[in-house]
Amino acid sequence: MNSTEEKMSEKTLDAELVNQAKQGKMKAFELLVNRYQQKVANVIAKFVKDRHEIQDVAQEVFIKVYRALPNFRGESSFYTWIYRIAVNTSKNHLVSKSRRIQNAPVEFEEAENFSSNEDHRNLDTPDAVYARGELEQTMSKAISTLPEDLKTAIVLREVDGMSYEEIAEKMDCPIGTVRSRIFRARDAIDQAMRPLLQDESMRKQNVR
Amino acid sequence: MSDKSNQNISELMDGELSRDCSKFLLKRMQSDSELRSSWNTYHMLRSCLQKEHDAPLIQNLGIAVLAKIGENDHQEATAVKNTNRWLKGLTGSAIAASVALFAVFSFNNMNQIDQDVNHPNFAKTSKQLINPPNATVVRVEQPVRYSRFPSLTPQVQEYINESNNQPMIPVYYNTDYINNLIIKARTQNTQNQVEE
Repeated sequence: MNSTEEKMSEKTLDAELVNQAKQGKMKAFELLVNRYQQKVANVIAKFVKDRHEIQDVAQEVFIKVYRALPNFRGESSFYTWIYRIAVNTSKNHLVSKSRRIQNAPVEFEEAENFSSNEDHRNLDTPDAVYARGELEQTMSKAISTLPEDLKTAIVLREVDGMSYEEIAEKMDCPIGTVRSRIFRARDAIDQAMRPLLQDESMRKQNVR
Repeated sequence: MSDKSNQNISELMDGELSRDCSKFLLKRMQSDSELRSSWNTYHMLRSCLQKEHDAPLIQNLGIAVLAKIGENDHQEATAVKNTNRWLKGLTGSAIAASVALFAVFSFNNMNQIDQDVNHPNFAKTSKQLINPPNATVVRVEQPVRYSRFPSLTPQVQEYINESNNQPMIPVYYNTDYINNLIIKARTQNTQNQVEE
């Protein structure tokens, strides 16, 4: 790509997706959700310890985001905005949950068997735990088997948040090479994950 | 789906694709599930690398969120539809009730009109005759006159009236005719005054 061409920054990309979502283009909102799902989950995990509940709260956060989209004026970044919504939703979730637990009748014998709240929280089905564990394992394995130059490029980009130019400088290679390495790393992971994701998709459809 | 498209997606999510290409690609992605799948997996890789220890790996939450929004919208639409149906029924009943009420009042009014026709108002005095009540025919009850003795005192006239046993003979006038007469008389008086 010609380097003189004006690029669409990540912030502009978010703004574009938000605008399209505001116009009722639901697929644009889907892209936006998948773009920020993990960041939102990381925020929720600071408040909510049950991994199963984190996904539910994350879903609630994005539904609130969708409902509030017409009020988003773009004065702050999209992530700053959804970060606030995620924090508020997590706190509200904890408050309503504590009310539910307080109101729930618990037998004394049953209560004595709770070694900690963690036991009470762990509501994941074994199937879900296994599927999620398998996804994470496959992903980690695929990353570890990447060639070293691809792995370095993708880690510098995703973990350290460096721009292509900075990575090119760091790895002492042309920016086009960085572009290619990052894409090849992602593509390799995509190829490794596809069969598993297809199975996961089939499993979800069967459950429905 | 080409490698070029996937490479463009990779650059798009990093903010490294040109503005025009980005807009075009975003449009394409919304109608191409394969491209969206690549977008999702690339973000899943990002999620895996950025994931904090306590958080689970979230993947493709977008589909679940859209399904939930659709479900909520459907429920809201159904609720609104039910409310509308209820309101529609209520409105129908209200209209029917209004029509029935109107019909009852109209019937009563029609009876009143009939009563008016059957029992017309009558003018009782000559003054009422000049400004008659709402009637096409007026009846003026004429007291017996004793014009032969105009010089009698009012007390004597009153005594004679009270002791008179003759029935009062009503006289009927057509109000239009009377009105015309009054107008003619006035016009004639005015002309006479002018001539004088």
